Amino acid sequence: MKLLHRTTRDFLLATIVILLITGAGLYLFLQDEVTAEMNEQLALQAATVSRQLEEGNDAHYLFTEISKTTDPVRLNPVYGDTLLYDPIQKVTEDYHYLDIVQNIRGENYHIKVMTTYIGWDEYFKMIFTALLGTTLLLAVSSVLITYFTSRKIWKPFFMNLESIKNYSVSDKTALKLYASPIKEFSELEVTLKDMTERSQREYKALREFTENASHEIQTPLGIIQSKLDRISQLSVSEEMARHITQAKSGVDRLKKMNKNLLLLAKLDNNTFADKQMVWFDDVISQHLETMEELFSVKEVAVSTHILRTPVLSNPYLSEILVSNLVSNALRYTEEGGMINIMLTTDQFSVSNTGAELDFPAELLFDRFRKSTKNIQSTGLGLAIVQQICQLNSWKISYRYADQQHVFTVNF
Amino acid sequence: MKLLLIEDEPLLLDEMESYLAEQGYRCEKATTYKEGEEKITLYEYDVVVLDITLPGGNGLTLLELLKSQFKDAGVLIISAKDSLSDKVAGLGLGADDYITKPFHLEELNARINALMRRRSFSGNNRMKIDMLVIDTAAQEVHWKEHLISLTKKEYELLLYFIVNKNRVVSKQSIAEHLWGDHYDMADNYDTVYVHTMNLRKKIIAHSGTDYIKTVYGMGYKFMAP
Repeated sequence: MKLLHRTTRDFLLATIVILLITGAGLYLFLQDEVTAEMNEQLALQAATVSRQLEEGNDAHYLFTEISKTTDPVRLNPVYGDTLLYDPIQKVTEDYHYLDIVQNIRGENYHIKVMTTYIGWDEYFKMIFTALLGTTLLLAVSSVLITYFTSRKIWKPFFMNLESIKNYSVSDKTALKLYASPIKEFSELEVTLKDMTERSQREYKALREFTENASHEIQTPLGIIQSKLDRISQLSVSEEMARHITQAKSGVDRLKKMNKNLLLLAKLDNNTFADKQMVWFDDVISQHLETMEELFSVKEVAVSTHILRTPVLSNPYLSEILVSNLVSNALRYTEEGGMINIMLTTDQFSVSNTGAELDFPAELLFDRFRKSTKNIQSTGLGLAIVQQICQLNSWKISYRYADQQHVFTVNF
Repeated sequence: MKLLLIEDEPLLLDEMESYLAEQGYRCEKATTYKEGEEKITLYEYDVVVLDITLPGGNGLTLLELLKSQFKDAGVLIISAKDSLSDKVAGLGLGADDYITKPFHLEELNARINALMRRRSFSGNNRMKIDMLVIDTAAQEVHWKEHLISLTKKEYELLLYFIVNKNRVVSKQSIAEHLWGDHYDMADNYDTVYVHTMNLRKKIIAHSGTDYIKTVYGMGYKFMAP
């Protein structure tokens, strides 16, 4: 439920309750006051009538009935309501009366004085109508106020909300916020601005850190590698040779890992923004030629269906994309397996035979995600592929069908 | 052959110098921008190996200086940044080749060697080891007058061995040289083995001599007599 709807609803509910109480109070108060006033008037009228009778005058008043009676004297007045026919308006009307029995000059008289009033249901109807009207007016006005405030006062809020939704710390530009004269909103705006700027700064520092760290690691790695190569020149025992080889393979993995991390950091930092026309089929052919021996030693059969296709990309990145996908296929194809490479004008696909993944397919493109069967891999190759696709607005997908892993890039 | 090695990391510099000296080069060293500037201005070199990040300045500025003095030295740039822009800038300024840290010394040596061959216009494109003659222009190998027919990769492999003769060359180094470091080679070292074996067989078939020795666990070594 929207905040505005919520406050409006609460306001209307409160209004209805308050108006009900007010209405009931008003009705009871009026009834009390009006009755008291009428009784007072009737008492005065009765007193006047009895004084006139006392003085021996004829007492002829409108709405007054005087009759001799044998009833005993009753000075306590009896009040009541009655209906009388009005011959002019031709309707029966409500009347309030007072009735007493008084002894005047030795005779008992019934004195009944009446006054007209509009009737309690009429009072009730009037109050109810007035309050219902008020309720409706309040409801309509609050809906209108809500509508216009949401359009005016809340507008910067909603626009800011929209820009936050579309914001990512990896954006180059700062978050664009709209100013509002409302204090709470402008405070929110300032806070958001601070927060996003800070996180953007920290994110940038982090990315630069990754890139710098990777650079700084290169030189010491070079030293270790050349020293290991140097040790290899000495005549060493078999045991020693084994240790050296293992150390070298560790360095090798570290080198590859570092290179890939550096590449990812650069992709994140958008270093390869320049795009040009690249003949994608040429890129594939070159890689297949270089890798020919790698396929043949593993007895992997490669079938290709490649059409002449230009794409718009950074040339270096298209090479990385092809080499990562093809060497990934080679790595996970069993000996004697098959690799199939297809290129059409809108799609590039690499498929290879092999056992199903031993982890969920949706994690395939995550960084450092790799099969337990291949601990040598850096687990970054496919993450890089995905990043390159994103950069070029290409779509990469994976499926497993007919014992084949299929990677498809849609240009 | 005179080399100038400009590199700020002393351990790496020593390692480069000692290996290249073993290969018969006369090496001089510089560890700072200032030192490099002095040596480039004062002396003549055949090849300058130039690190880009130097204390006191940028290697690319040294390259500009070198070219502005019309020195006829080949330039090989070393960079810890595997960045295209550095590469493009370096080659654009007249560098001959570009290598990224960390590299194998054999690779550096092979690059320097190739640079030397390209620069000697006088047509010295024949290398002779014992009775093996390699014609780098035609990319052919002869044993005495018999042509040994090699695949492109086998030829490159032999050249790599010969340039780095008498040194144990690791499988990693060979794999990177032949296939580049695009590929995760860790599980492809079998391919290096297969290629080396084929090469050995072909050479033995013609010459009866096995020049290439397997060094247990470490790699291979081309034994020049």
